[in-house]
Amino acid sequence: MAIHEDVLVIGGGIAGTTAALAAAETGAQVRLVTHKKSTLRQASGLIDVLGYAPDVDGPVSDPFAAIESLPEGHPYQLLGETAIRGGLTVFDEAVGEAYEGSHTDTNALLTTSGGAIKPTSRYPTSTAAGLVSDDRAMLIVGFRSLTDFDGELVADHLAAAGVPFSVDGVEIEVPGSYRADSRVTRIANALDLNKDLDYEGRSLPAREAFAEVIKPHLGDADRVGLPAVLGDDHADAVRADLERHLGAAVFELPMGPPSYPGLRLEDILFDALDEAGVRLSDGNPAVGYEADGDAIDAVIVDQMNKEVPYSAEQVVLATGGLVGKGIDSDREGVREPVFDCHVPHPDDRYDWFVDDAFGEHPFAKFGVQIDEACKPLDADGVPEFSNLRAAGGVVGGVDRTAEKSKSGVSLATGYAAGTAAGEAI
Amino acid sequence: MTDTPHVLVIGGGSTGCGITRDLAMRGFEVTLVEKGNLTHGTTGRMHGLLHSGGRYAVSDQASATECIEENRVLRDIASHCVEMTGGLFVQRPEDDDEYFQKKLEGCRECGIPAEVLSAEEAREMEPYLATDIKRAIKVPDGAVDPFRLCVANAASAQEHGARIETHAEVIDVLVEDDQVVGIEVKHDSGPGKREHKTPGTTEKIYADYVVSATGAWAGQIGEMAGVDVEVRPSKGVMTIMNTRQVDTVVNRCKPKGDADIVVPHETTCILGTTDIEVEDPEDYPEEQWEVDHMIDTLSELVPMLKDARTIRSFWGVRPLYEPPGTGTDDPTDITRDFFLLDHEERDGLSGMTSIVGGKFTTYRMMAEKITDHVCEQFGIDAECRTADEPLPGSEDFSVLRDYMDEFGLRSPIGRRSVQRLGSRADEVLKTGEPNPVVCECEAVTRAEIQDAIEQSGSDLNAVRIRTRASMGNCQGAFCCQRMAHELYPKYDEETAYSAFDELFQERWKGERHALWGQQLSQAMLKYSLHSTTMNADHDAVRTGDAIDFTAFDGGTDAASKSGATGAAATDGGVSSPGTNGGDR
Amino acid sequence: MSDAESPSDFDTTAQSFEPVQVFPNNEDMDLRPGADNCYKCTACDTSCPVAEVDEDFPGPKFQGPEQWRLKRKEDQAVDDSIMSCSNCMRCDNACPSSVPLSQMHNTARGEYVSEEMNKLSQEYIRNRILANYRFFAKIGSKVPRLSSAIMGNRLVREINERILGLPAEREFPAFATETFREWWSNRGGPKVRSEDKRVAYFHGCYSNFNTPEVGKAMVRVFESFGYEVVVPKQGCSGTPMFANGMLDDAKREAGITVENFSGLIDEGYDVIASCTSCSMSLKQEYPELFSMDGIEDLSAHTYEAMEYLRINEDLHSAIEDASVEEQAYAYHAPCHARNQGLDRQAVELFRDLDGVIIEDVGDSCSGISGTYGWKKEKYENSMKIGEEMFEHMEHATGDVGMTECPTCSMQMEHGTGYDIKHPLQLLEEAVVE
Repeated sequence: MAIHEDVLVIGGGIAGTTAALAAAETGAQVRLVTHKKSTLRQASGLIDVLGYAPDVDGPVSDPFAAIESLPEGHPYQLLGETAIRGGLTVFDEAVGEAYEGSHTDTNALLTTSGGAIKPTSRYPTSTAAGLVSDDRAMLIVGFRSLTDFDGELVADHLAAAGVPFSVDGVEIEVPGSYRADSRVTRIANALDLNKDLDYEGRSLPAREAFAEVIKPHLGDADRVGLPAVLGDDHADAVRADLERHLGAAVFELPMGPPSYPGLRLEDILFDALDEAGVRLSDGNPAVGYEADGDAIDAVIVDQMNKEVPYSAEQVVLATGGLVGKGIDSDREGVREPVFDCHVPHPDDRYDWFVDDAFGEHPFAKFGVQIDEACKPLDADGVPEFSNLRAAGGVVGGVDRTAEKSKSGVSLATGYAAGTAAGEAI
Repeated sequence: MTDTPHVLVIGGGSTGCGITRDLAMRGFEVTLVEKGNLTHGTTGRMHGLLHSGGRYAVSDQASATECIEENRVLRDIASHCVEMTGGLFVQRPEDDDEYFQKKLEGCRECGIPAEVLSAEEAREMEPYLATDIKRAIKVPDGAVDPFRLCVANAASAQEHGARIETHAEVIDVLVEDDQVVGIEVKHDSGPGKREHKTPGTTEKIYADYVVSATGAWAGQIGEMAGVDVEVRPSKGVMTIMNTRQVDTVVNRCKPKGDADIVVPHETTCILGTTDIEVEDPEDYPEEQWEVDHMIDTLSELVPMLKDARTIRSFWGVRPLYEPPGTGTDDPTDITRDFFLLDHEERDGLSGMTSIVGGKFTTYRMMAEKITDHVCEQFGIDAECRTADEPLPGSEDFSVLRDYMDEFGLRSPIGRRSVQRLGSRADEVLKTGEPNPVVCECEAVTRAEIQDAIEQSGSDLNAVRIRTRASMGNCQGAFCCQRMAHELYPKYDEETAYSAFDELFQERWKGERHALWGQQLSQAMLKYSLHSTTMNADHDAVRTGDAIDFTAFDGGTDAASKSGATGAAATDGGVSSPGTNGGDR
Repeated sequence: MSDAESPSDFDTTAQSFEPVQVFPNNEDMDLRPGADNCYKCTACDTSCPVAEVDEDFPGPKFQGPEQWRLKRKEDQAVDDSIMSCSNCMRCDNACPSSVPLSQMHNTARGEYVSEEMNKLSQEYIRNRILANYRFFAKIGSKVPRLSSAIMGNRLVREINERILGLPAEREFPAFATETFREWWSNRGGPKVRSEDKRVAYFHGCYSNFNTPEVGKAMVRVFESFGYEVVVPKQGCSGTPMFANGMLDDAKREAGITVENFSGLIDEGYDVIASCTSCSMSLKQEYPELFSMDGIEDLSAHTYEAMEYLRINEDLHSAIEDASVEEQAYAYHAPCHARNQGLDRQAVELFRDLDGVIIEDVGDSCSGISGTYGWKKEKYENSMKIGEEMFEHMEHATGDVGMTECPTCSMQMEHGTGYDIKHPLQLLEEAVVE
């Protein structure tokens, strides 16, 4: 067959890229097939391993110590600390200096765009000066036209949380002339390219102009937080220039979509795939498979109404959860659409949710059930296929949203599935 | 008795607001009390159909005639709340020919313009109708926004001097010597606009006359006054589609039945409904089969509904009433007519009248009749003007055609804003400030949100019903937060967060009923955005947890940055004097 | 099969153009249900190269699902910003929920142009001319040297800018002295006949009039793998017409394509294009925008040239022992190739080819996007969008560019001065004796 690899990974999010990198590490020839842009663009870019656990009050400070309190069947319980550490190592090597947090097992606390404090394990360097356990005085800056974020409100909320530093907030007019409904991509682009902007009758490079607007509000602040739209390809330079002009540290507060930290991470991970010699096919969905007995021969990719077989010895399913469309549902039930793996769920649709918006929603746990080898199991607990493994959001049984373990589960399962797939060659 | 009699109206639904406006326009001093937001009860939970009367043309011609009359009135006085979509009674091959004929004749007898369309003609109007339909009758049904209609009535009443108290629940009806002399209410957050954190108070409000326009809750008010009002609340489900599959009201042309109407409503379609008697208008089961029944049955008329996205479902409780002793078993057989119960005549309790039954479309006529009745009590001879004077927002038609580019908005956004605001568009949108879009699904801008906050205080659900913000396909995933931001700094941090939490939970209540397919994915994204990205579910401020900041990563070069991070952080809880959030 | 006749000719006066009913019934035009898929994640907005540089363009989410969802039946106006969409279709590729974004944009643009645009305006006439490039190319190529000389003249370019709104900065592509179809005809058609390996070549306008070497490479490569190649009568794929909201023109051309290729599909031919916008059009836009007999079938049998070989031949083995002239290439994947999932195939293959260094210059848009960069008022934005690609090309080792798309190649040449090749030309060098 024309298109053939040792390991085929389906899905281009954190789990898929980790699995591909881990498999490539074993020497296998790997192809990663991805359909649309991954949910990284909607995520904050923070790498949460475990933020809250059953026996711990408040945020978990050492995620590894809290693993044992997790329920049976939790991916961390199944795969163990080795997988989490393995996944983190793959991640740390891929991202290099773009992230911090690898110096300690202890979680870091950062401020979210909603003003709440959140524990996380790895954080973009661009957010590092915003650590809440740091006592330097803080100024939080919002843009008046950016309705998603209010710098003053976030500052007040942080103060209400009793943080160990003084914090002030300000809403500024973005320099330059923008329409009221300008996309944030415009701001990011202006900063990225440092194009000249009109500012009080003068023409100033964008970064300097932003600094000029912020400066009068700086007060005693040693660090300045802004919504995470500070550039795309040249984010480091944007921050460095802002810091130079302001004479204070500058950090980003991760936002919801569109997430620049997520976009940047996506770029970094795909560069790492290239570097590792992983072949990439993106833009078309995996829609089915050809199997011989319990072994998958090929995954069928729909190339615009044409079913093209991509054959491989080992397959990793990392298509994501309900948002990434790795798990699909209708009024009748919940399913995994590529291999039709068993997805445990209550028969009655009204048992899929609870009445509190932030309650323990069964739907948040929808996904395939895996064994210690990451193989998805059928209703009887038997692996669906001998050469299929699952990783990331498509794996169920855990509410990683409430737990703040989304990226950690992706890294651990991606690492375990990718390594096992590569070693099986 | 003072010169101007004081009338107290209980219930901020369409009837109560209509009565308040009418009374105020006829010179009464009026106070309206409502336990929730305006439209909190049945009015906010209807399908938004402006009846042509066609639905009653066979079974209840008196109602049908009232409907077509009021339909014409509302088109005039509430043009910015009404969309004249037109309606179709669609006959499928298995539906009775004889009934179709009766419907057509009934319409004509009641003065409802009715025209028979062939299947092709009907499908040309509505391409998504089933290919095998037989024919249809075209009638002047329309769509009406009950929220804005109520708000406009209340606003007009206020202009005429009425006092409107929302979030003021009646806890007692004050009776002295067989006469109702007033009521006692509990203000959720003090009198006036609702503002979070304002402590609750109670107030005795005395009046010369009390009107209970509490619909399905009339029995409860009656009980406080010591009289029996036998309402028979009947629930009905309504399922909201994400888009408009039809732009015309589509009715099934057959005798009474469940799941027989699709109403295009703003950006959505509403499928309805069921008719099941319940004990308590506030506590009844909301069931899966009801939602499924809407989709499955109505897709016989509009097949694409089967796989289309629904964004939420809600239930309303009809305030059905029948005189004691009628004894109808099936709630669908109970009359839709309204009853004016003068408790003096009926129960020997003077000073109070209840109004029960009736339909949204004829709210104004009901209000007129009860206002006439109140006038009689006081021997006042004042003419009703509510059928002639346009409601605020509907004064000037021309504005609806002149919106293009005027407000610096993209044309679909400007168009939607003006469709909602009517003649108030200028006043609301021309703020001179940058006006970003806050709710993208429904095209609601900052100016419109600010206008609603000005009207209703820190209650974001009240903002929602005025603007439609958070009522689109993301169900507030992105804009609940933005709306809360708009409260600040007018309201403080704690208020903004409480108001957010309240709106977020309210949105979830209806969205729960749509959790499969696209809306389940949407809900998961919403959950992830608020829990994973923003950590709203574990926010230490809201949970009240204290965090030991020293137990967490202080950064790689913390020492050089701040001396000793750990040590300096132990005092926790230092907040900047420059902020007004305060310690908690 | 070597019929070089134009199947239909274009009338330059807009008024005398006979409109074709694009939407046979209302149902096809109502894309509101497509908004059901959108969950507002903004992946499309972050992928839009125009929204990043053009203040007036509100991005694909607004232009697509939001605008459609806000529509009522009686509402007419489409926001005029739709004309700033370059139809790069990157939003399609971004959307995790498969919202039919480009379909919504194409349809809204068609509606805007037919309902709201002044048909006598310079913009309309210029767009009409750009959209119907083939018509003018056909005339120009009758006297190729003269046409190229005239269009290359600075004065002529300035007049074009003033009168037609074409940017004077851009140089018109030169016409080939022998069109591909002339070559094909002179060659006597196919050299290989086969019962089971047969393809019909959709060469498009550019390979025919401007770069016949790409078409020739396609024929020789496919024949070297044992395929029978035929070259049916054909018009324009419709791509520039979609991008300008000229849906009537596009439908006319689609009709010609379907008419001339459908019969061949029944005889076992697959349809191959060398231009990724042409293959995009046949695969996706045709069935999305038009309903005609055979259009779905055409879509399901259309492939980009290298896509087809990758699926059906072992290309890696085929180039294993090949040797080509040592050269480093700076490869740019066209947006429309990206959309078909083909953005990696050239790099993946050629990095295993001895003597070749190939670097991907990143995932940005070249900025020309067909006719977009050919509009005076868009020229500046087009160059802003292209800046990232130019920069990466200059940093790359190679001093020859490579891409599948003719207009991307114009932009690459315009921005860097490099020669630009089509991957088929390198493949020809590697595998054709």
